[in-house]
Amino acid sequence: MTALSEIVTAPRDRLSGARALHWVLAGALGLACVASLQVGATEVTLSAMLSKLVQGEALSQIEQVVLFEIRLPRLAMGVLVGAALAVSGATMQGLFRNPLADPGLVGVGAGAGLGAILAIVLGALLPVWAIDLAGNQLTPVAAFLGGWGSTLLLYRVSTRHGRTSVATMLLAGIALGALAGALSGILVYIADDRQLRDLTFWGLGSLAGASWAKVLSAGPLILISIGAALMVGRGLNGLALGEATAAHIGIDVQRLKSTAILAVAGATGAAVAVSGGIGFVGIVVPHLLRLVSGPDHRTLLLNSTLLGATLLILADVTARVIIAPAELPIGIVTAVLGAPVFLWILLKRRGLVEL
Amino acid sequence: MSLIAQDIHVAFGKRDVLRGINLTALPGELTAIVGPNGSGKSTLLGAITASLPFRGRVSLSGRDISVMKPWELAAQRAVLPQASLLAFPFTVIEVVRLGLQSGTAGHRSEVPMQALARVGLAHHAGRTFQELSGGEAQRAMLARVLAQVWAPVENGQPRWLLLDEPVSSLDIAHQLQVMEIARDFARAGGGVIAVMHDLNLTALYADRVAVLAEGQRLALGTPSDVLTNDTLSRAYGCALRVSTPPPSDIPYLLPHAASA
Ligand SMILES: Nc1ncnc2c1ncn2[C@@H]1O[C@H](COP(=O)(O)OP(=O)(O)OP(=O)(O)O)[C@@H](O)[C@H]1O
Ligand SMILES: [Mg+2]
Repeated sequence: MTALSEIVTAPRDRLSGARALHWVLAGALGLACVASLQVGATEVTLSAMLSKLVQGEALSQIEQVVLFEIRLPRLAMGVLVGAALAVSGATMQGLFRNPLADPGLVGVGAGAGLGAILAIVLGALLPVWAIDLAGNQLTPVAAFLGGWGSTLLLYRVSTRHGRTSVATMLLAGIALGALAGALSGILVYIADDRQLRDLTFWGLGSLAGASWAKVLSAGPLILISIGAALMVGRGLNGLALGEATAAHIGIDVQRLKSTAILAVAGATGAAVAVSGGIGFVGIVVPHLLRLVSGPDHRTLLLNSTLLGATLLILADVTARVIIAPAELPIGIVTAVLGAPVFLWILLKRRGLVEL
Repeated sequence: MSLIAQDIHVAFGKRDVLRGINLTALPGELTAIVGPNGSGKSTLLGAITASLPFRGRVSLSGRDISVMKPWELAAQRAVLPQASLLAFPFTVIEVVRLGLQSGTAGHRSEVPMQALARVGLAHHAGRTFQELSGGEAQRAMLARVLAQVWAPVENGQPRWLLLDEPVSSLDIAHQLQVMEIARDFARAGGGVIAVMHDLNLTALYADRVAVLAEGQRLALGTPSDVLTNDTLSRAYGCALRVSTPPPSDIPYLLPHAASA
């Protein structure tokens, strides 16, 4: 055995680098939060308010409203939605073993949207006790169910014998998106005026409607889903070897798949319910992180959560200041930044992996 | 202590692919499964590893595998599939570590590098798996499998290597190297089942050979018992000539035309 006499040194360990990145990204998220509280349509700035507080002055009525009723809930929603979109992207990519699987791209977002629209338009028809029981959770939960159904269906259609066909996945996603879109269109027809206003607002893909009520309605589901996603890191690593081999190395594949699908549906559903469809975060964030620190899901999922929140907040700040005092829907900003990255991924993969 | 498959039936839709196979593999031995394409070798391995639905019973050291949890099975046996998949650009060493998921060895252990060295790939540890050549990739996957059951015997129990065509893309030197690894594992008290196409390598390294044809076991025994003109010609449906060149009595095969 010549090999045994080789001087064996393990190569640089990417895992510890990826763990260090947790702290860097957490710091970046902190800075982004400060920036988000600092700027906005009014002249009110965080620094001015802080210096007032330091000098013992009270905040004015306007400042209080801007800070506590506008910017803070918007920040909280940005963090939640950004984290949810990125972590559901990373989880779904691990589950489908493909960096192009993104809930927004393959119809899961549309399915969640259909659920949300159903809740908005037909929610009033539910028995009173059901409405009371659901409370502010009705729309997120309906979106979660819509997302869950779509993910299950998509996985069924595109995975055979533990292998996922990318072409089938993307095409099935298109069909699913079109179907959900058509059904949503029908619902829009039968909606009344007030519901229509709700729907338009919701469909813009924006954080503009942020309120504490929305934060409270989507927050719990998003946090639970992120928690679930963070637990499947090891399993998703194993799944990269295919379902059969994942089982051979000791992973309970069925449980892994159900957990991952629930996490994807929960995070996507809740995010879609409060912010409409914001695209590309789920595909760009994990991709950038894989380039920097490798594909290990034990770190990728948490790093995606942090970077997703950071990038969405920064995109929101951009959307707010770029044409101030008006503001762009944030979906436009993420699409302008994200779509080219997506094309670039396709371009790079073209030679390597046939679809 | 052995691995016993009893009366295994597998059907895909209406097609019966395995029709009542019995196989007992002993620790300390290398058991080879040979047979023509489509005869059901991989399917049999799939049943033994509980990766597909089957009728019959498979037990590992006396325990029915259908009641064992994935991690219990993973601690006792590692499986090399005929074709390996890998999504995402993991490095070679990261791939080998994937096999340790449920092991006690832990992430920092030396085992993955030793396993890579064993298959002669230590110098490629830091490379992206997808950049490896076909044979290198096959050896890297073998290293992953070796790392998973690194000690052939643990707590007095033999562990198992279940290999589906482990040498199919290897050059002759590495074919020998890998077969030696498998035999060493068996000699150290572990059990090995390997699906093989190269009958000469099988004759050289196997302690026991099972011949499959059309979903049935045609023969089971030592290489000299089983690798005979008659059995092989029946199994493969072509004329083969087996000789036993002195000084050893290991069978040696030539296709008929070549030896004419
Ligand atoms: N998932 C499946 N669905 C339907 N038929 C299958 C499936 N897997 C295998 N078969 C069929 O079962 C038979 C046995 O297949 P198997 O893979 O076990 O053959 P093998 O002996 O390993 O062949 P090879 O030497 O080519 O690897 C083949 O005829 C194959 O077509
Ligand atoms: Mg086979």
